[in-house]
Amino acid sequence: MILRMLIRQKIVIILLLIIPVFFLTIVEFTTSERMLPFQLASLDEDVFINISEKGISFIFFAVASSGFLVSFLALNLIQKNNAVNRRLIICGYHPIELMISILLALILVIVLIAIYIGLLTNAFYTIDHLSRFILGLVLIGFVYGSYGLLVGSLIKMELEGVLMIVLLVNIDVGWLQNPLFYAEAQNQIIIKFLPAYFPSQTAIITAVTDYSASTSILNSLLYGFVFLSFSMLIFFYKMRTK
Amino acid sequence: MILNTEHIAKSFGRNKVLKNISFQLKAGSITGIVGENGSGKSVLMDIIVGARSADRGIINRNGKIGYCPQRALLFPHLTVQEHFIYFAIAYGIGRDQLKRRSEELLLHFNYRKYKQEKIINLSGGTQQKLNLSIALLHEPDLLILDEPYNGFDWDTYQMFWNYTNHLKKQGCAILIVTHLLSEKERLDRIYKLENGILI
Repeated sequence: MILRMLIRQKIVIILLLIIPVFFLTIVEFTTSERMLPFQLASLDEDVFINISEKGISFIFFAVASSGFLVSFLALNLIQKNNAVNRRLIICGYHPIELMISILLALILVIVLIAIYIGLLTNAFYTIDHLSRFILGLVLIGFVYGSYGLLVGSLIKMELEGVLMIVLLVNIDVGWLQNPLFYAEAQNQIIIKFLPAYFPSQTAIITAVTDYSASTSILNSLLYGFVFLSFSMLIFFYKMRTK
Repeated sequence: MILNTEHIAKSFGRNKVLKNISFQLKAGSITGIVGENGSGKSVLMDIIVGARSADRGIINRNGKIGYCPQRALLFPHLTVQEHFIYFAIAYGIGRDQLKRRSEELLLHFNYRKYKQEKIINLSGGTQQKLNLSIALLHEPDLLILDEPYNGFDWDTYQMFWNYTNHLKKQGCAILIVTHLLSEKERLDRIYKLENGILI
């Protein structure tokens, strides 16, 4: 039912179709083919990645659109029908059952969005390791989906929730995690503590190199689980019957 | 007793909304609680159904509770039939009972033609019918109605009272909370909520 409610909302379908296509089309028309060798923060210092400006921008914008979409949908899942969900619990539904339903719906959304954006990105720019790149998109979806759940369980008002998401996605995924910006950034330690750091690193490593991304994958999962745990605790505390 | 409340109190900051509320509901009775807007009626209902905790006091509920909130709390993108299915799972009622009860309620409140319609496409009155039907779906022993006839037309209003009397005869305790009570003779007992206490 939760998934059914989500896909019946026109705005959800419109965002899913428009945002990734729009982001990637902008990249196609605004970036050049010049090669940009850069170092990736989570790889050894002597490792340089050679990729075109267009290529790295496609990967980076795929990560950004995936993070934004999943985060928004997670917020929608947990916040939109809060009062009716509460009624369901009063009628006998257990808050944990409801939490599990929301989580299962979110996991499905994360995987579908990752596959869709992965394939779409590959249509614009051939990704060397597509399946591993999709795994990176799943991770950004997991971290930002859990962040969306946390915002939705904390904030009651829809507009404020959306603002919190847009703000962090914009600063973190949309700006600071850009590897070209990061390479020259001051105080890189701050950027490393932001939620999109590990999933972004995973997506770039897996998409264009043969190096292992296991440390980034583990740290992404850890980051996601911390957000998820807090969001579930707050949700349970607010929804339980007294 | 179906419901027994003793010395219920609730404050929001310095505002003491409920000071000392005690009352009982017995099977086969209709009780009304009236009060001005902002007198704390909905807070009291929330405490009785378990949506909110009281600062003090005891509540004993015996039997199944059906709660019809003041505002139609429904999922905008689900159909009427999907609501029955979803809430039947919450109540833990089987497929046969769900089918029998949903058909009965759809026919009684005369909105069967909207069975496959999404809530977002329904009028306020039809939404209110479904809001009430959900509270009645599992044949409750205690029915709590918060301003139940908001948005009802005259026919539906009559249907509502017919159904309420039918439930009363079956032994259901009914609590109606409203700011405006026009048909006092239909109720067995009426309390007035004023300054945080029942008069």
